[in-house]
Amino acid sequence: MRKILIANRGEIAVRVMRACRDMGLATVAVYSECDRAARHVRMADEAIGIGPNPPRESYLRIDRIIDAARASGADAIHPGYGFLSENEDFAAACREAGLTFIGPTAEAITLMGSKTAARRAAIAAGVPVVPGTEEPLAADVPDAVIVERATQIGFPVMVKAVAGGGGKGMRVVGSPADLPSAIRAARSEAGAAFGDSTIYLERRLERPRHIEVQLLADHHGTVLACVERECSIQRRHQKVIEETPSPVVSPEQRARLTSAAAAVAASVGYTNAGTVEFLFDEQGRFYFLEVNTRIQVEHPVTEMITGVDLVAWQIRIACGERLTLSADQLLTPRGHAIECRVYAEDPDAGFLPSPGLITSLRIPSGPGIRDDGWAETGTDVPVFYDPLISKLIAWGEDRPQAIARMRRALLEYEVRGIRTSLPFFQWMLRQPAFLAGEFHTEFLDELLQRRGVEGFSAIDPSLEEVAAIAACIADAEDASAGRSASPTATTDGRSSKSEGWWDRPALSWKHRARVEALRG
Amino acid sequence: MTCDLETQGGRRSIDFRQRGSVWEMTLDGRILSVDVTPIAGRRSLLIGPAGGPVRSYEVAVERRTNGERIVYVNGLAVPVWMVDPRERLRRRGNVSAETGPRSIVSPMPGRIVKVLVREGDVVAAHQGLVVVEAMKMENELRAPRAGQVSTVKVVEGMSVEARAVLVTLA
Repeated sequence: MRKILIANRGEIAVRVMRACRDMGLATVAVYSECDRAARHVRMADEAIGIGPNPPRESYLRIDRIIDAARASGADAIHPGYGFLSENEDFAAACREAGLTFIGPTAEAITLMGSKTAARRAAIAAGVPVVPGTEEPLAADVPDAVIVERATQIGFPVMVKAVAGGGGKGMRVVGSPADLPSAIRAARSEAGAAFGDSTIYLERRLERPRHIEVQLLADHHGTVLACVERECSIQRRHQKVIEETPSPVVSPEQRARLTSAAAAVAASVGYTNAGTVEFLFDEQGRFYFLEVNTRIQVEHPVTEMITGVDLVAWQIRIACGERLTLSADQLLTPRGHAIECRVYAEDPDAGFLPSPGLITSLRIPSGPGIRDDGWAETGTDVPVFYDPLISKLIAWGEDRPQAIARMRRALLEYEVRGIRTSLPFFQWMLRQPAFLAGEFHTEFLDELLQRRGVEGFSAIDPSLEEVAAIAACIADAEDASAGRSASPTATTDGRSSKSEGWWDRPALSWKHRARVEALRG
Repeated sequence: MTCDLETQGGRRSIDFRQRGSVWEMTLDGRILSVDVTPIAGRRSLLIGPAGGPVRSYEVAVERRTNGERIVYVNGLAVPVWMVDPRERLRRRGNVSAETGPRSIVSPMPGRIVKVLVREGDVVAAHQGLVVVEAMKMENELRAPRAGQVSTVKVVEGMSVEARAVLVTLA
């Protein structure tokens, strides 16, 4: 393998290219029209345009990406996360074109892409699953039968899409009477989102934690598991903060959890990197949830505590190399790591997306800090894609030090011109329940609901005084320099983002769902 | 000179006098001395009472419309509103925001997923009006105040530009 095409954009394209460069491999970028000047294009050895801005006309075009790989003479394709990373047709198209797909086989993607098939594989491997239906419920299964099955499983019950993800086609039902309408709604949502309206039922666990296990599996039968990741800090089913190890998993639980994850992968002949997701109930019992057949957004926290480059190992495995890592190294946490996903969104306006020109960007560094990003001063964050700007990762000898370092890095992080979720993280990392490690997957939504409307940037009253002094000086100096003191547009001239606080009600957008296909 | 402004914590008035790089400021009856040094679009501020401890801050101030300033300090983006006599009517909390016709505009380019109201509907404050898909998310645009829908300018499936008027309230 000499040259790799990266079928992605943004931070993950940059991340994969860095691994390629470390390994002496040439890189090929693909880009849509608005990404012509993007970081991943400038960073690559070669770059090929693949079409207009909407993802389905560029980053989701299998034919154009395969053509680009052929034209550039690439040997392999790394799909990143989101876009085509879990698309079995893409993996198969790569194989047919004689290209190495850096990921599992098309067959493994298909198997794990079906939530019910993945559940059956887990059951066969002796791994506990959340009680539910083992077979998918097709559109012609009568309501009465479904109600009977639900009663056997026990209420409250979750109605979920077989092809699902990201909360789409998902309903919580408390009683048999509410089930038929929830089934109809879930089917229509799943049909629209995934083109597949089959659903299944699962018991709803109360206040579960989301804990997952990173795996590496080679083509010679070796499957290695890493220390678990704790991903329970979620906003509307989307992970916001991830960390490793989990504050609640004991060494005995870790041993059982990681061997269960490895057993699921081994039983289906899984290869390359993957993640097995589990739910933890309040009694500390774990249940298999699903398998993600890609590198995940939060992979850096695992890299920080194991010292392993997971993307480099994806490439080495795809080359046919044997996993020579020690199982002990991957299962012994070396310190603690936390990741904050920094999004171009305005936490003070209900996390409304905030695309546009970044007029100034300063990224933190120093002991234990890693920033996996793609934006720079002058980057225009487009409206077409996931608004992830960077992942800020902090490593420490223990959890308190990792949190202290993250808080220090957040103080140094400055993104001007657009709004970001950074002020939210400063607030989040002061929450007593977070510091105590006491949370579950609905914790953040409940916390935000109770919180009220105060701006996240108002968390420190002494800074309000500093801000007032700074604004006063800036205006006086502007006035004496002859600049008009009357209101003027901001440096980027985008009046759309210049709404004042008092106008916020008109902008109080409420996020309903995010399309999982574009998320890691 | 005097500078009137508003922060999220409330109204503030600052009296100030500049002598070279040092600004003498009076804030809530306290006298502060602020040493100001510019560095490439930012300012270093050393703030202290005369003879007391000096606190160091690095700030950047961005001008927005309607007198809004965003002050970047310690990783936060703190909004401040300059109070100008000509703008006072538009101040936060002023009743003018609650009455008169109001246009609901799309804050960014997107696609109309669902129109939740019809012309003539009476809506409550914060009631959903239109669902727009932008940046891969479905977002519900809600009424800034109670009122009657006078016009609906979009239909489901339509693409809209940033600042496009979607609905007007009478």
